[in-house]
Parts: sequence; C-alpha cells; structure tokens
Amino acid sequence: MNDVIFDVKNVTLRFGGVVSLNDVSLHQNRGEILAVIGPNGAGKTSLFNSLTGVYQPQEGTINFVGRNGKTVSIIGRKAFRVATYGVARTFQASRMFSALSTFENVKIGAESHRGIGVVGAMLHGPGTRRDEKRSDERTVELLNFVGLTEKANTIAASLSYGDRRRLEIARGLATDPQVLLLDEPAAGTNPSEKLELANLIRRVRDDMGVSILLIEHDMKLVMSLAERLYVLNFGGVIAEGTPEEIRANPVVIEAYLGSTTEDAGSK
Amino acid sequence: MKELFAKTYVRRLLITLGVVATVELMTGPPGSNTAPTAGFRGSFAESASFFGLFKTQRWVLFLFIALVAWGIASFWINKGPMVRATVSRALVTPRHITAKRPVRWGALGALLVVAVLLPRIETSAFWQAAMVEQIAVYVLLAIGLNVVVGFAGLLDLGYVAFYAIGAYTTAWVTGALPLPPLFHHALNPFWSIPIAILLVMVAGILLGAPTLRLRGDYLAIVTLGFGEIVTIFANNLYGITNGSLGSNPIPHPSIQLGPVKYVWGLKPVPYYYLALGFIVLFLVIFSLLEHSRVGRAWTAIREDEVAAESVGINPLKYKVMAFAIGAASAGFAGVLTASQSNNIFPASFTLTFSINILVLVILGGMGSIAGVVLGAILIQTVTEYLNNGQHWGYQPSDLYIYLGALLIVMMIFRPAGLIPSKRRKREILLSEADHENAHLDEALLGDDV
Repeated sequence: MNDVIFDVKNVTLRFGGVVSLNDVSLHQNRGEILAVIGPNGAGKTSLFNSLTGVYQPQEGTINFVGRNGKTVSIIGRKAFRVATYGVARTFQASRMFSALSTFENVKIGAESHRGIGVVGAMLHGPGTRRDEKRSDERTVELLNFVGLTEKANTIAASLSYGDRRRLEIARGLATDPQVLLLDEPAAGTNPSEKLELANLIRRVRDDMGVSILLIEHDMKLVMSLAERLYVLNFGGVIAEGTPEEIRANPVVIEAYLGSTTEDAGSK
Repeated sequence: MKELFAKTYVRRLLITLGVVATVELMTGPPGSNTAPTAGFRGSFAESASFFGLFKTQRWVLFLFIALVAWGIASFWINKGPMVRATVSRALVTPRHITAKRPVRWGALGALLVVAVLLPRIETSAFWQAAMVEQIAVYVLLAIGLNVVVGFAGLLDLGYVAFYAIGAYTTAWVTGALPLPPLFHHALNPFWSIPIAILLVMVAGILLGAPTLRLRGDYLAIVTLGFGEIVTIFANNLYGITNGSLGSNPIPHPSIQLGPVKYVWGLKPVPYYYLALGFIVLFLVIFSLLEHSRVGRAWTAIREDEVAAESVGINPLKYKVMAFAIGAASAGFAGVLTASQSNNIFPASFTLTFSINILVLVILGGMGSIAGVVLGAILIQTVTEYLNNGQHWGYQPSDLYIYLGALLIVMMIFRPAGLIPSKRRKREILLSEADHENAHLDEALLGDDV
C-alpha cells in the first residue's frame, strides 16, 4: 500500500447526537480518479470537510502522504494547514472571491501556499517581485489550462456556473496540490459544460499528475470518469468497487437508487 | 386632499420643509429658563440677511433654501440617471488620461508640493496648529484604521487604545510618568517614535492573537472593551500613569546626529513637517501592502474566509498582521500628540474618539487610501472652520448631530464613501444585487478590472 495518498481509517464524526460519519474507512491510490457517491445526507460533504480539516472527527485516523512522501495526520490540523500539505478543493456552492477578477482569484491561490515575507511585501523588494512574477506566470498558465484566458479580467461574480467551476479548479491547482477534491462539480452546469468538465478533470489527472477525489450526483459523469467508487449511506460505507461492480451491486441499487432501477441512468 | 398627499413631489416638499425646519431650530438661538420658547421663536423670527442682499427674517431665508433643495432633489431624482450617464460618458477620455502612470505620479507629486508649501500659504496661528493637531493626527489615525477595517474587514471600535499607548509610551520613555523610564534614563521624545511604534505593534499582536478568532460583532465588542480597558488603566493607575491628572510635562523632541542638530519647539510648523514625512512613509507602505499578496490575502479573507483557508491562507495570522500594522500609525500619532502638546490626559482617549476615526474612514471610503485621506482632511477642516469663530450658530457640541446626518445621507447615496475602493464598491453592489435578486451583470455593467 505504498502508493496510497489518502488513508482513512474508522473515522466517526458527530454533531452532538447526530452521527454524520460512522466508522468510515477508505483509501485513495496516488493518481487515481476516485468518486464518492451516495444519497443526500449520506455524509459525502462531511467526509470532504473532514479530509480538508474543516471538520474534526472525534474518532479514527486520516493519513495523507504529502509532497515529499511524508505521511501527515489530517485530524487536528486547521484547514489552511491541510491546504499547504497539498490538498486542494472546490466547494458545492462555488465559493470564489466574488469582487475580484478571475486572474486575481487564481493568483491568490498561486501565492498563498508559500511563506510570506511581510517586510518584503512592504518594501516591494526583489524577492517579492520575483515571487509575484512567478505567481503571474503560473496564473496565466492555469487560466490557459482550464480555458479561462479570455475571462481573466472578468469579475468572478459575473462568470457562468461552468466557468465558476473552472475557476475553482484553477485556483485549487494553483496551490500545487497532490490531490484535488471536487464537491459536486457538475451541479448547475448544462450537458455540454458537463462534457467539457469531465475532459478537464481527466486532463488534470493525466497532464498534471494530480489525484482526483470526486463527489457527484450526476451518475453519467461519475460512471464515465471514476476508476473506483465508494458508496456512502447513513454515514457509512456500504460498497466499494469499479463502476461496473457498483452498477451491479444489489445493496447499492437498494440503498442509493431506491427500488426503481431506472433512476440509475437518468439521475 | 388625500390625492394631493399621494403625489410624490408633494410628499418630497413636505419632507424637505420638515428637514429644513429642524436645521433651522438646531442653528437658532438657545432658549432660557425665563423664556423657554425664545429658542423656538428666535429660530424662525430672528432677523437674518438674505445672502447679504437684504434684511429679512430667518424663516424666509430657510423657506427659500427648502424650495431650492426641493427643486434640486426633484431634478436629481427625475433626471439624475441621465445626468450621471452623460457625465460618465464625458469622463471617459479624462479617465484614460488620469489612469496613466506618469499623470498619476505627477498629480501625487503636485499634491505633495502643495502639502509642503501649505504652512507658507496659511500662516494664521490657528490653522497652523490645527494642521498638526486636528488634521495630521486624524489622517494618521484614519489611514491606520483603514488597514484594519478597510483592508482586512475587521471592525475595530477600540482603535484609540493604540493612540493612547503611543502617547503614554512617549510620556514614559521621556520620564514624564510616575513610572520611571527604562534603566532610569529619560530619552528624548524623538527616540520614542520607534519605541512607541514597536510597542503598539506588540499591543496589536497581544490583543489580536486571542481575539481575532472571533468574528464580526463579537470582535467589535472585544475591541470596544480593549479601548475602554486602556482608558480606564490610564485613568486609575495613579502609580504608573498619574491618573486623571495627566502626565508631567513632556519635553519637545530634538535630534542630534553628528553635526546635524534640530530642536522642535513650541511652534506647530516643524511638527507638521515631521507628521507629513511619516504620513508619506505610512502611505507608501500601506499602498504597497494593499497591492501585494498580503493585501490580496486580506481581500480574500474579507470576502470568503472558508475559501481563503482552502488555498492555504492562515486567517488568524493575516488578521493579527493587519492589527499590528494598522496600529503603527496610531502609535506615531500618539507620539506626535504627546510631544507637541506637552501633556497627555486620559480624557482625550475615549470611545467617542475611536468612533470619530471610524466615521472618517467610512465617509472617505473604506479600503481606499485616497478616500480615507481626503475624508479625514475634509471633515477635520470643516470641523475646524466651524470651531474657529461663529458660523451659523454652530456649537462644537453639535458636531455629532451633523456628522450623524452626513453619515446617514452618505450611506443612502454613496455607501462606498467619497472615493470608493474598487473592490469595496463591487462588494457592495454584489450584496445589493443579492438582496434585490437583480441581475448581477446589470449591477456590474461590464465592469472589468
């Protein structure tokens, strides 16, 4: 198991009496496109927030293998710290810096994971200028990669849903991550945008070597994109396998898709 | 009758008349015990000059003002959008010119020259003193608070504390407090500048580190408490601060570096240049910071803290930084006040003072350095003008009535301030569009950065 990037063991997350995640164990291999699916309230976003340090599970361990091959424990770390380890994410309802331009949004991602020199920033020294130039170049590169070059100067709030997703992905990639967590990236996008998005996600993995962890409701997208899936229900893992295995799994059909198997394709 | 009141222009006229009548009462003569209605009668019936043209009574003058105001308001409400569109179209070319770098630097240079020559142009003792005590000090405080409130989006209601700490540090290191100075060696106030700036920055970190975990209202309450604590300490710690009696005389600053020797004395002008130098220094540092990654990180935190954390920004660190950096200019303002006025008293460092500075920042334009400087200069100059002699029955104690009214009017018509910060203005537009569920594109109107 030396190519495991995320190793989640027996994680339980409670909010008062409500058990949001119940003894969840899963792992992600390096370079894998992994998906987590499940009905609403199954605990998918709770899992995401636990993996990124936003929530602190009461039990279990989450280990992440960072850039230099060093294993770090996520639990007990703050969200910004987790981000610097190499875990980037997007949000279910996209969260951007709305009053800033597309370019500035990505640039903030590109420069924030490095250490800051306040004095350098105050005096605008050569180190700061070099840093700034590097961030600018990286931003241009990433905007080009996600196809937002023409909208570099647009205010983030006036971007379409599809473009917002791209922006969030570019901003996440700007932090130079090992793994990119995507929380329902296809929500609110139209079919053609969905197709482009799937291509983009695949390119992120293939061209940049970033592992992908995906939560998605759109079955078509998940089944075409993911190499392996976990199914969550009532805060616990009920199945794991390749898309084919999951599609054939009676437990999944029962729990996630309900009794009407037709939904599997259409939803 | 009912139909008459239903007409908007009639209602507007009545509102204008009401407002003007209130202003008339406020600016009129006071009543007394023996003649309680004298103020009321006098406000309307006292004789007045109609713009120097002929003698009449106050009510005629104010009725005329009300009608003019009503006319302007009606015109603006009906034709305002059209006028604004025309003006902004006419401004396209000038804006292109003013956006050019050499033009901007030239304009800034010209402003600096004016600032340097100002004490030669305005030579009255009153204004020369006001330039230091009422304008320079307030500009320093406003640009510092702007870092905290405008850049980082943290509501600080106890900003006066840093000013007080700066002033008391000066008194301490010069040996003007019961508390003996470090190593029992009194320093010249000039050297208290770096010490005071350092100390207020440490105070900013000490206050910020535990409290900046709080958000919004909670932070405001805690900073309010901090401001009060500092004032109460200054008032009650007789053994250290000499309590409400204030400090002993603080010497004037002087500097001796080899052959160069300079002594600041009783005259305000040298202090003005000292202040101007530091204002320019702080302005340069703050605007470089605003356009650096630190400034962008502040904006990111202000707009969406969760998203900011997701790209690796440590919110607490940046907020504490804003507190410490913003405190620096207040620390210097404290030194300036203490060394110029010779004595400091706890009564000068009140909550009202903090709020006063906040009002300057809001009126000028939160997050906009140019706006905040202009706001501070404008408001303080007008206030001083009104304080200097009799003008329209103005009493210094009425200041907050007018400031309050001005604040309300500004919040309605120009919520982002006199010279709005681009980012802030967009944030306000976005949140308004959210409320009204209007189309965002319309609010932004092709507003490319």
